[in-house]
Amino acid sequence: MFTEEEALADLDNQFREAADRLGLSGGLAEMMARCAVELKINLPVHLDDGSLVVRPAFRIQHNVARGPCLGGIRIGPHVTREQMRGLAASMTWKCAIVNVPFGGAQGGIKADTSLMSASELERVVRRYTASIYDFTGPDRDVCMPDVGADGRTMAWVMDTHSMHARHTVTAAVVGKPRGLGGSHGSEEATGRGVGILAAEALSRSGSRIEEATVAIQGFGEVGAHAAIFLHEAGARVIAVSDITGGRHLPPGLDVPKLIAHVEAGGTLAEFTEGTAVSNDELLRLDCDVLIPAATEGQISSSVAEQTAARLIIEAAHQGVHWDARTVLAGRGINVVPDVLANSGGLVGAYYEWVQDRMGYFWELWDVRTRLERHLLRMFDEVFETATRSGLDLRAAAHTVGVGRVARFTEMRGLYA
Amino acid sequence: MQDEFNPFEAMAVRFDAAAESLGLPEGQIDMLRKPVREITVALPILRDSGELEVFTGYRVHHNIDRGPCKGGVRFAPDVTLDEVRALAAWMTWKCAVVNVPFGGGKGGIICNPGEMSERELEALTRRYTSAILDMLGPERDVPAPDMNTGEKHMAWLMDTYSMHVRHTETAVVTGKPLGLGGSEGRTEATGRGVTITTREALKRWGGTPENTTVVVQGCGNVGGIAARLFQEQGYKVTGLSEIRGAIHSPAGLDVRACLDAFSKEGTLEGIPDTDWMTNEELLTQPCDVLAPCATENQIHAGNAGDIQARLIIEGANGPTTPPADAILEDKGSVVIPDILANSGGVTVSYFEWVQNRMGYSWEEWDVNGRLERLLVASFNDVLECAQRTGTSMRMASYILAIERVWGCSQLRGIYA
Repeated sequence: MFTEEEALADLDNQFREAADRLGLSGGLAEMMARCAVELKINLPVHLDDGSLVVRPAFRIQHNVARGPCLGGIRIGPHVTREQMRGLAASMTWKCAIVNVPFGGAQGGIKADTSLMSASELERVVRRYTASIYDFTGPDRDVCMPDVGADGRTMAWVMDTHSMHARHTVTAAVVGKPRGLGGSHGSEEATGRGVGILAAEALSRSGSRIEEATVAIQGFGEVGAHAAIFLHEAGARVIAVSDITGGRHLPPGLDVPKLIAHVEAGGTLAEFTEGTAVSNDELLRLDCDVLIPAATEGQISSSVAEQTAARLIIEAAHQGVHWDARTVLAGRGINVVPDVLANSGGLVGAYYEWVQDRMGYFWELWDVRTRLERHLLRMFDEVFETATRSGLDLRAAAHTVGVGRVARFTEMRGLYA
Repeated sequence: MQDEFNPFEAMAVRFDAAAESLGLPEGQIDMLRKPVREITVALPILRDSGELEVFTGYRVHHNIDRGPCKGGVRFAPDVTLDEVRALAAWMTWKCAVVNVPFGGGKGGIICNPGEMSERELEALTRRYTSAILDMLGPERDVPAPDMNTGEKHMAWLMDTYSMHVRHTETAVVTGKPLGLGGSEGRTEATGRGVTITTREALKRWGGTPENTTVVVQGCGNVGGIAARLFQEQGYKVTGLSEIRGAIHSPAGLDVRACLDAFSKEGTLEGIPDTDWMTNEELLTQPCDVLAPCATENQIHAGNAGDIQARLIIEGANGPTTPPADAILEDKGSVVIPDILANSGGVTVSYFEWVQNRMGYSWEEWDVNGRLERLLVASFNDVLECAQRTGTSMRMASYILAIERVWGCSQLRGIYA
């Protein structure tokens, strides 16, 4: 497919093009391109055998114009400064496009989790949190999980931050387990958002979700929740697939039954309804809406040439290879780009922070209602820009996001 | 050693040798070698031309086991993060040798101060201070002047920090002007320290001021003051240099008159009854004590064999390369290393911090008396270590420094 470096370079390109379209001055564009703060720390950690090792780690804050930073913590053997910078910048644009009041950040610990015991991992995460304490917190920089981190990791981060603050600070971290300041609906937010935007994009092109057929590649948290939402909204989910295989049934799969089958430990290949379909075949099926919700680059130029879909919802990060973009545009196939399509998770993270700050927790229906309103407002704004300026949704999204950050920066002016 | 003329590599070589001789495990050495934290900040500044320019600043905390970090902030076009790291480590060992309760820090901004207006420099200093504010404070990190920064920059830094913390905090920075929390005796401190260590070395290796001839390279803040104090203390100063060349007179110079002439004419050339020669030639003139107080790499493999002094007092940082060390040692010449010989400056910086913290200022005689006692004690500690370990004063000073830092680190243990 392609490397993360290439994907980050593509995002940087999106920023530069948006800055050009907006006519930003060279100095302002440079200020927005650069990371405001880059912290590198060396973490001494005792291993279980009593020896001491030093693990390099980063916290990089790209932009603080619109509010506190928000960004993942990645734990893995290939963490680099360049990668952290790119991820932090991409988060700035994403938060601005989705219109949540954050700038972008990214953190990382260079350590191979597969070689570490749970207690070693806990020590390195706690030492990391203590080391970046001065730069983090609900009003400064909010940490969330990324590759190599999960709810348990975020609970350690929250606990260590709280011990240093001398009081519990749930809002310093998002992606926490429920009951520890986590939000209702956080696991479904991305998938539900995919469904909401699919329905909205269809209605903008004069179609009705109730009459649409949908194929979804990837049946993890995102794909499954998208399928549930779209099924409940009346769409026919005609095919789903994951790493184990897939099922195809033109009249529409029984999604609740399929979910129950998977939750009981069954694989998609073992499901009895429909016919078997491979991940690649799924992408070329006859359907109205195609949703790549698995890994990056699945919509290749060959898929783009063959697909019968009129609409692609890029649920997976970089799910459409950039080579395929011009092919799709040439065939008049609309793409709801990843930055919009999978933004439900980001809005969910924002809601977790809001609820932690006020110390009051919304019920599931309340989270769902707010999520839908937020995403429709976001989509409306990007759609308007696209129509007005004759851009595709991806370019329009970045124009909206970069424009928002530029406006904040200009209005705030230059300190000192 | 890759490059004889890289002073940071030279420092690393000496650190590695000392750490190895102490038998520390690799993990522990790694922890002592690497900075505990480093910050890189983007500094957007409005130029007088009306354009926005983004500068890059660094601040590195090398070690915090013995107390807050201490170290200069330099403004130069060729500042790199690697250089700042190395200089921060250097400060850790220097502070430990003289037993002042600091770890090493260093900072820098990539800029060309010669091409910047006063207003731009002030804006840059203030923005830098606010960007690294969380790293600073009397209990955290206390900057000082360095290359291309001086009293006025420290005053701006102190003011910016104080405005952020809502009260005047003089102890956040040293090297401030007198009357703004600066210390009596600071300007002279490094030069005075050079003469104190010289006197102690003569006590050990034989000699009195009256029968000792001294050649001083450099006539600035360190060399000029050291030369004047040497003469006042009864030594015969036979050589003195500036950047363009050197004067020499076997009969002895009238240092005060030479310095007066230098400040009037801008050169030492043409002073009656002196020979004009190059800096290189000056170093190999017959003398008992040679004090290189100018710049790094002056005594190297190519000229160390011709050095006639039996005592070399390193007023500058890194004037002797590691290969030259070995040659001098074979000849029986003794080198009093930079981290001991020129530590008068950091010592009085420490006194400035102490006076600021207690809100009471010592008179000059009091500062000088304390400097004297502290440096004599440090000299004796290094000498004792050299005898105990059978090594040179240079190696002993590193061994002593590492013992002190590692001792604190071990007692404190590893957090988290």
